[in-house]
Amino acid sequence: MSGLEILTIAATATVQDRGRPGYLRYGVTSSGAMDEYALAEGQALLGNGRDDAALEFAGMGGRFRARGAMWLATSGAEMDLRVNGAPQPWRQSFMLEQGDQLDIGAARSGVYGYLHVAGGFLTERVLGSRSTLRRAGLGHRLEAGQVLPVGVQPREAVPVMLPAPAYFDQRRLHLLWGPQSEVFPKAERARLLAETITVTPQRDRMGMRLALQGGGIDAADGLTIASDAINLGDIQVTGDGTPTVLLADRGSSGGYPRIATVVTADLPALVQIPAGQSFGFDLLNREQAVEALARHRKMLVALPSMVVPVTRDPRDIGDLLSYNLISGVTDGGEFDPD
Amino acid sequence: MARPGQPRILTAGDMGILVEFGDRYDPAINAAVLAFDGEFEKRRPDGVIETVPTFRSFLVRFDPIELPYERLKDMLQEMLVARDWYQAGPPARSRKWVLPAVYGGMRGPDLGEVADLMGLREDQVIDSHAGALLTVAMLGFAPGLAYLGQLDPVWDFPRRTTLNPEVPAGAVLVAVRQTVLPSTPIPTGWRQIARTPFRSFNPNSKTPFLLRPGDRVRFEPVDEAAYAAYAAYDMDALLHEEGP
Repeated sequence: MSGLEILTIAATATVQDRGRPGYLRYGVTSSGAMDEYALAEGQALLGNGRDDAALEFAGMGGRFRARGAMWLATSGAEMDLRVNGAPQPWRQSFMLEQGDQLDIGAARSGVYGYLHVAGGFLTERVLGSRSTLRRAGLGHRLEAGQVLPVGVQPREAVPVMLPAPAYFDQRRLHLLWGPQSEVFPKAERARLLAETITVTPQRDRMGMRLALQGGGIDAADGLTIASDAINLGDIQVTGDGTPTVLLADRGSSGGYPRIATVVTADLPALVQIPAGQSFGFDLLNREQAVEALARHRKMLVALPSMVVPVTRDPRDIGDLLSYNLISGVTDGGEFDPD
Repeated sequence: MARPGQPRILTAGDMGILVEFGDRYDPAINAAVLAFDGEFEKRRPDGVIETVPTFRSFLVRFDPIELPYERLKDMLQEMLVARDWYQAGPPARSRKWVLPAVYGGMRGPDLGEVADLMGLREDQVIDSHAGALLTVAMLGFAPGLAYLGQLDPVWDFPRRTTLNPEVPAGAVLVAVRQTVLPSTPIPTGWRQIARTPFRSFNPNSKTPFLLRPGDRVRFEPVDEAAYAAYAAYDMDALLHEEGP
């Protein structure tokens, strides 16, 4: 059987596409790639469809072998990448011949890296999506020894690349107050905007636990509410005052109050902040958040037009990359909604 | 009678609007939510991604670029003032399920403890639970997991403070005048008094979710032999009535 054989793989690796929205009312959260910008990068590099599935790695990758020739691409957090032992640049497409070995090591910056294949990984679809939702046993569970079926390969292709996006360095993120913000004293809400916030190691696809400089958040009026639906990006505060941003694999509903919601446009930047690093929150109003979302969408749509052929060893053209970044394709400011 | 709540329309992130009907689980508040959900579904505008009715609120997730916030908010506001949703009562088209369940023993390991909490004999607990016609107030937490309400006040005891690391799919769990029915194994602080072979969620079925918010459910005590027979049964057949 042709496909990509898994020799070893990190336990945190999953199959992800754009997820399965529409089932929240039945208790199923949408899942999908933690970093939708990175998912779109891979689709752009390979000319894939928007709904094609990729492998998502949370900081660690795996070892793979090509069963048949295939075109692959990498995106998201830059990870150590080798083909038959030789280091390769990130955020490019490349071809593997039958029997080639691919190694994806640790992330060098950021958290979530992606491996894409032309035509996508064709694992089983559940409720319209290939995304793994491990907690609920939905979607494919990756294990060593499997040969992952891949889509139809192009007859001809050339290696292409994308410039590194700016959001990996973004350390001002944006939030909106939400339905339960007023459960929290004004002073506690002010702290969320004023203090330095550190990402803790307690983080996964369900959520990211945060640590405020001045300690836990006090919810004076009561620590539980009658359950209601949880939105992507909601910042929940549990009884001990710990704020957690709830993400793609969150529970669909919950009874802890949520102090605020991170704006959709900032989620790729948020999820890519490594544990131990710090950032700050700024408040947006709803109109500003929607403007930020519109800019974010424009960037996703523009990705295919930013793809350029790899003309020489990209390790020699770091300057060219930064030149491209400031010469009009993007100035990186799209992710700063102010 | 005082209204059980005052509806509020609230921003819930840049892709959400929440219509909050109250701050607690109360069958009248939940009935308002379910009636509002039914009405919204009839006129659902383009740009709505999904909707989530819960115990006490109705979330609309939408694309604010395709469907401007103000337009959606105006529509929700118009719907809210069009009638008194708290007077809605049970949904007009609710469906009724009769779910077989084995109470006590290995299928309901906490039945004795629940009987002690309620000051009743085990057979009285079973009669009280199986005698109640419950409503699916919401689904959440795990795929197909149903929150059913509302049991008599004698069932108003809290959840455990410690977590049972896993109860099986089909466990019939009780606390705070509610019954929780998971379709997948879950960790829980609720007490298990019975187990049903019924699974609300089957990802490989044409109808992956059987229970819907607003459905009516009654549990029917059966013995082990009947339980085993039902396990190979078509779960759709447990739907006994369509319509009002």
